Amino acid sequence: MDQGLVQIMIVNLVIWVGIAFYLFSLDRKISRIERENKKRK
Amino acid sequence: MSTTKIQLTFSAKSAILLLMLKKNVLKIALIIWMIVVIVASFMYAKAAAGFPGETSRIMLFHVPQAWVATLAFLVSMIASIIYLRNRSVHADLTAAASAELGFLFCILATVTGSLFAKVTWGSYWNWDPRETSIVILLMIYGAYFALRSAVPDQDRKRVFAAAYSIMAFATVPFLIFILPRITVSLHPEDTMNPVDPQMDIRFMLTFIGAFIAYTGLYIWMIRLKFRALRIEENLTEGIEEWIRD
Repeated sequence: MDQGLVQIMIVNLVIWVGIAFYLFSLDRKISRIERENKKRK
Repeated sequence: MSTTKIQLTFSAKSAILLLMLKKNVLKIALIIWMIVVIVASFMYAKAAAGFPGETSRIMLFHVPQAWVATLAFLVSMIASIIYLRNRSVHADLTAAASAELGFLFCILATVTGSLFAKVTWGSYWNWDPRETSIVILLMIYGAYFALRSAVPDQDRKRVFAAAYSIMAFATVPFLIFILPRITVSLHPEDTMNPVDPQMDIRFMLTFIGAFIAYTGLYIWMIRLKFRALRIEENLTEGIEEWIRD
């Protein structure tokens, strides 16, 4: 197996996991703000 | 702590975790699906014929990114038409969110395309008709954001932006599909030819998987962006009301 391909794949996976984690936490933050706004109304 | 208390705490934690998983099942499925696509792109798919070395693998990222950019611009145009018909603020927010995502994915497609160009043609940028048309497209949509931020009146801003978004999308088919095909271009088209695909079945399956993953990612991101813009809109309205009162 080509070592270069494996390295690029790992870099891609790390980037994707980072993006997914960021989107997930952003989703939770937005949901929390929406819930608080609803309570206030 | 007694055994019953420990058991209760444990079951409460498991219930919360299960509830969280149930609520986010599609998002978790997308995350796993994208991981599978990335692994398949490098481990499962065989490099397409007619390209130097392993360079064809970049197509598994570049083409779905270009597809999502086109889809996002199309959604922005449809939402703009809906806004002009109904004056629905939600439609305007969808148009803005989709145009932003289209711009982002267009930049990503340009970056992956120029990486491919460096390996295949020896230079990151060649002013090829495809590259030139994508720069023009980015400038057209860049002007859309400038327009949105330049008009202070909210209603006028929305009407101008909606009209501009419809006109901007009219250039998309010409710049993406027509112009690169009526001029001599270095951009590879034969591999993508649906009549005679030169793709290996494994490559084709990964390609389809990547299209699904990127479309799913676009749906997740546009929903997030829309909700964030809606919160911002509510906040601005609240401040304006507070100032008036």
